[in-house]
Amino acid sequence: MATIDITKLRKEFGDDGEQIVAVDDFNLTIRDGEFLVFVGPSGCGKTTTLRCIAGLEDVTSGTIEFDGRDVTDQRARERDVAMVFQNYALYPHMTVRKNIAFPLRLSTKQSSAEIDEQVEDVADLLGIGTLLEQKPRELSGGQQQRVALGRAIIRDPEVFLMDEPLSNLDAKLRSKMRTELQELQSELDVTTAYVTHDQTEAMAMGDRIAVLNGGELQQVGTASEVYRSPTNEFVASFIGSPSINLFTAEVSGTTLSGPGGFEYTLEDGSLVTGRESVRMGIRPEDMRLEAGGAVPSTVTVVEQMGNENFLYAEMGDIDITARIESVMNPEEGTDVEFGFDESDLYLFDVNTSEALKTKTGETDVAYEKYIGETT
Amino acid sequence: MRTETRNEALWKFGAYIFLMVIVVLVLIPLYWMIVAATIPQSEFFSWPPRIIPGLQWFDNFQALQENIDFLNSMWNSIIISVSYTALSLVLCSMAGFAFAKYEFRFKEPLFYFILATLVLPIQLLIIPLFLLMVQIGWTNSYLAVILPWAANPLGIFLMRQNMKAIPDSLLESARMDGATEFQLYYKIALPTMLPSLAALSIILFLNQWQAFLYPLVILQDPQMYTIPLALAELVGQQRVYFDQIMVATSLAVTPIFVVFLTMQQYFIKGILSGSVKQ
Repeated sequence: MATIDITKLRKEFGDDGEQIVAVDDFNLTIRDGEFLVFVGPSGCGKTTTLRCIAGLEDVTSGTIEFDGRDVTDQRARERDVAMVFQNYALYPHMTVRKNIAFPLRLSTKQSSAEIDEQVEDVADLLGIGTLLEQKPRELSGGQQQRVALGRAIIRDPEVFLMDEPLSNLDAKLRSKMRTELQELQSELDVTTAYVTHDQTEAMAMGDRIAVLNGGELQQVGTASEVYRSPTNEFVASFIGSPSINLFTAEVSGTTLSGPGGFEYTLEDGSLVTGRESVRMGIRPEDMRLEAGGAVPSTVTVVEQMGNENFLYAEMGDIDITARIESVMNPEEGTDVEFGFDESDLYLFDVNTSEALKTKTGETDVAYEKYIGETT
Repeated sequence: MRTETRNEALWKFGAYIFLMVIVVLVLIPLYWMIVAATIPQSEFFSWPPRIIPGLQWFDNFQALQENIDFLNSMWNSIIISVSYTALSLVLCSMAGFAFAKYEFRFKEPLFYFILATLVLPIQLLIIPLFLLMVQIGWTNSYLAVILPWAANPLGIFLMRQNMKAIPDSLLESARMDGATEFQLYYKIALPTMLPSLAALSIILFLNQWQAFLYPLVILQDPQMYTIPLALAELVGQQRVYFDQIMVATSLAVTPIFVVFLTMQQYFIKGILSGSVKQ
């Protein structure tokens, strides 16, 4: 277990004058025992950051410390870090038993009997105790995944790194493994850095989430923080599914007017004072069908999810999405109007994309109070 | 449906007939070699030719052994070919691993330089190599035959091409598990490359087993002769010892069969499968 401090990390790729900066000015502390998820679109530098922590990539500048011990120039095998790869990377010529025992055979002087005992413990923990004598090619994807996990766990490392470990599994198995991984991590209490491009997975799994874009860290926070209080437009648009509706509105006084006849007067106008225009964001789940609402639009598609419907509509030349009740099934071409609460409104600076206003209102409502309100 | 399966069966039948003809054509000379090794030379050119093996093999062998000390040549050939194959496998796989999986300065030019040496004919190299061996006093030694060709460019090329198929994550995973770079080579790369190593070892062994020109120049002492050199002794200006040649060649091919049969078990298809999820 360890606290990981990353300071001013920079990683460039390529040579002969053509430099690609994969990670730039990256500062982050991963707390002891924390499950931290790196999330971002492909090419955002999340995997590169993970590989720098692993010691598989040399950093261009900056430092990485485990519990105050500078590991920046240490090799991967000196760092006491275990990694689970996206494609599992099992040793094809070894049985499951040998695969899991491999790190112990290399890094400890334990006897074969001791190693065997630990391998069996780990295999039982992961439910692959009966597969020990099989080769990786004889296993299913989920079983291979468990072997890869077993190989990481057995060393009892200071840090776990996981690079999209669930992305090769089918949807059902993925959600099962997601829960298992979380349970395993909290049981072992090992500091974990986890990379995914799937924001749902990130929200569901991480103690905290680090959102990356273009090689830069955008925001670190709990799922609720990045969802409710994104620091900028990118985080707001990346987190949440379906993603937030964003458009530019002109400001006159305290009134915002946008495409397709959008018009809304702010109760608290101080946020937009002195601005000519502003970027507006409303989450699909905060839109409600409402006669005379501020968002006039024309329905294009309704997707039925069973428990709810996704309504896609056009407001002027802007596509907007709304989550509505499953009983609402407006036909294509219907003109509808949406309303929203000002507390749910997001505002961003047009030039810097930084957040001016995010969701307000209570977050942690006590159970008794909630019950009292609804009954 | 019916006609299709019938057509398929016909095709298969035809293919088998064709293959059997080829097999017979290949086996005839081998069979004749065995027959000829067991009959006196006087019956060599009799008509119709003999097809039943005779009982003269031991006499022929004795004559051969007295004439050129064949067993000694066989011993020389085995030592040279086996140690050459082993050494070359190590060097080629190491070089191939480096070229396939590491980044270093001048990697590409160096690799193409090695490939370019493939086009140099052996005749071009023989004189300089001979002079070198004379200078360092290695003529008439096993080392002089083994070392100059041990870093085989074809072998390096083959190993590099095959080792490129080893997923990087497999090596990185082993690095994280605590493996040194050398352990990556012999615990991960070599075991996953067994089929390629087996194929390469056959090529290398055969090359050295049949080598004639270079050993002829370097090995002048008959005590050091390999089988091809010893066989050449049997073709004199006055007389060709056909019976002895046939005994010698029939013995000379046995190690090749041994190598083939031992290596065959390593031709496992898809040894890398299951290591990474595509």
